[in-house]
Amino acid sequence: MRPPAFNRTLRQLVALPIVLLILMAGFMVWQIVAAARAQRDLDHSDQITVELTELENLIIDQETGLRGYQLTHDPVMLAPWQAAAGPVQTGFANLQQMLGGNATQQATLAQLQEEYAQWLGFADAVLHQDPQALLAAGMNQRGKALMDGIRATMGRMLRHEAELRAQEYQHAAQLQGRELISLFGSVLVVGMILALFTRHHVRAISDSYLRRIGEISEQSEELYKSRQWFRTTLESIGDAVIACDGEGAVTFMNAVAVKLTGWTPDEAKGQPLKTIFRIVNEQTRTEAENPVEKVRRLRRVVGLANHTLLIARDGREFLIDDSAAPIQDADGEMAGVVLVFRDVTEERQMQSALAASEKLAVAGRLAASIAHEIHNPLDSVANLHFLLSDEKDGQQRAEYLRLAQQELGRTMQISRTMLSLYREPKAPVLLDLGELIEGVLLLLDRRMQHQGIRVETRMTGAAMVEGFPAELRQVFTNLIMNAIEAAGPRGRIGIRMEAAEPAEFQGSGAIVEIVDSGPGIPQAVASKLFQPFFTTKGADGTGLGLWVSMGIVQKHGGSIRVATSDDGEWTGACIRVFLPARTLAQAGEPAI
Amino acid sequence: MLTPTILCIDDEALGLQIRRAVLERAGYQVLTAVDGPAGLTLFREHPVDGVVLDYYMPEMDGCAVAETMRRERPEVPIMLLSAYINLPLEVVTLVDVTLLKGEGPAELLDKLQRMLGAARRSATDDGKPGAAR
Repeated sequence: MRPPAFNRTLRQLVALPIVLLILMAGFMVWQIVAAARAQRDLDHSDQITVELTELENLIIDQETGLRGYQLTHDPVMLAPWQAAAGPVQTGFANLQQMLGGNATQQATLAQLQEEYAQWLGFADAVLHQDPQALLAAGMNQRGKALMDGIRATMGRMLRHEAELRAQEYQHAAQLQGRELISLFGSVLVVGMILALFTRHHVRAISDSYLRRIGEISEQSEELYKSRQWFRTTLESIGDAVIACDGEGAVTFMNAVAVKLTGWTPDEAKGQPLKTIFRIVNEQTRTEAENPVEKVRRLRRVVGLANHTLLIARDGREFLIDDSAAPIQDADGEMAGVVLVFRDVTEERQMQSALAASEKLAVAGRLAASIAHEIHNPLDSVANLHFLLSDEKDGQQRAEYLRLAQQELGRTMQISRTMLSLYREPKAPVLLDLGELIEGVLLLLDRRMQHQGIRVETRMTGAAMVEGFPAELRQVFTNLIMNAIEAAGPRGRIGIRMEAAEPAEFQGSGAIVEIVDSGPGIPQAVASKLFQPFFTTKGADGTGLGLWVSMGIVQKHGGSIRVATSDDGEWTGACIRVFLPARTLAQAGEPAI
Repeated sequence: MLTPTILCIDDEALGLQIRRAVLERAGYQVLTAVDGPAGLTLFREHPVDGVVLDYYMPEMDGCAVAETMRRERPEVPIMLLSAYINLPLEVVTLVDVTLLKGEGPAELLDKLQRMLGAARRSATDDGKPGAAR
């Protein structure tokens, strides 16, 4: 039942009893008025009877007084006569008034008055007669007859009044009976109506209530299930999850979060996130920004800064990779923050190990080139030493010594060049990228000659960039070696370099494109080129070269892309490297 | 016995000249070439008793040169010189002897002498040329 219907029902439940009770009260008032009228009539009859009786007594008193005087002639005996004379007249007047509505009784009263008047006439004669004559039998007879008439009339009036009263009594009794019946009847009817009506509506409300309770319990069951489902899901995922309310107090954390922070959910609940989730910068060890504050400030998903170190309750430290997102309520208000993070310590160690192993591989290749470059002059020097040992001719000896000196100088030169390749400055230095690439080409010259590869370079102006020369040399050695291998024997590679003007999302810097005459890179391979351990060279490649190169270039704030050459002359791959003029790279920062 | 003729092939001109002087001092007759094709020409034109071949050369490397020589005159022993420590296995099995540049002239002459001796013995015994390592 919807709220408007419920309100209507409530109004009906209040209004109907009121209306019915008002009707019933009206009916009862009508009944009571009728009963009161009947009672009044009854009282009236009683008053008339009393008045009549009193009048009769008064008249009898007068007759008694008159009799006494007749017998004794003593005027004292006339006292009752005289005393009653006034009240008799009042009695007649009262009765006259009381019997106003009853014609029969009025007529009888008039007759009574007439008879009384005759008797008074008789009495007057008695009082003025000779006392002897008073005892005459005729006199007495006449008085008695008159008085009998009065009595008879009086009796008739009383009887009539008694009859009237009896009728009125019966009427009143009838009214009372009717009153009771109608009272019970109306109470019964109103009660029935109210009972049925209330029952109907209460049942409707109760049904709707039961239905609603059913719905609510079903909903709460579903809510409970989905809540459990979400909780289990959050508990089961491999990443650590911490949820906070809008104030940043912890409301939930899963098993992984418990493991990493060292806090149990019960202990952590209600605590500020800052206490549970202590993060510092890995290098500076300064406190990192509280993710809740950051999300509240930015109102969007944020990833935490790189090199974030989580300090657990027991002091253990984990390198973490994480993100925080706002939890929004139905109104779009921020109701909390959910934080997802994972331990990347091992991952980072592995990446460092991989980078180190690639560095070793590079060092190994470098050592091989050094060995090759040095063994040639060394071989000559050893041979010259052998020749010198039993050469007698002074001129010839001088020639051998000169040659030996020359070969030793070459060895020194090679060793110095190699060393400079591997000596790394502490901070990025300003370097001429063209010169650096020329140096790399020089180093690879022998290899390219060996395979009959032609190199075409086109460098437009000098491109000065900041960076670490050995690392950048490693990058270009890798890229040019790949181009050499792709081009194959008697192939061609092209190297183009130009200064890059500042563009959108990119400052000024230099762009180097390395193209080759090889078969090109299939699309499926291109997408995997920069993944670690991906190699097309079988056992000859570590699969780390491009991955490390990417890391180094990204560290410098640049980018490497595999592009398709728009120059029809170059059929193979086109690797495009951008390096910014000002680098963001710091010394000691791992490239990966 | 006739002076053995040795064909020396190396793209390092200076090193080649010095090696020639060492071999001549040891009594060999020496032919030199600064690349594979020139070396093969000399190999075809002259009776050669042994070859001292550099592995790492532009255009045609020692491996390709040795293959051609084995096809044409398999009885001629070949010594492969290299500045590399790790040579591909197929090259090592193709030639008779390998020598690392820088091992010194004594080693060069010693290995060369043993290689030639082994070649002569196998020619006399009509056996397979043994590999002196």
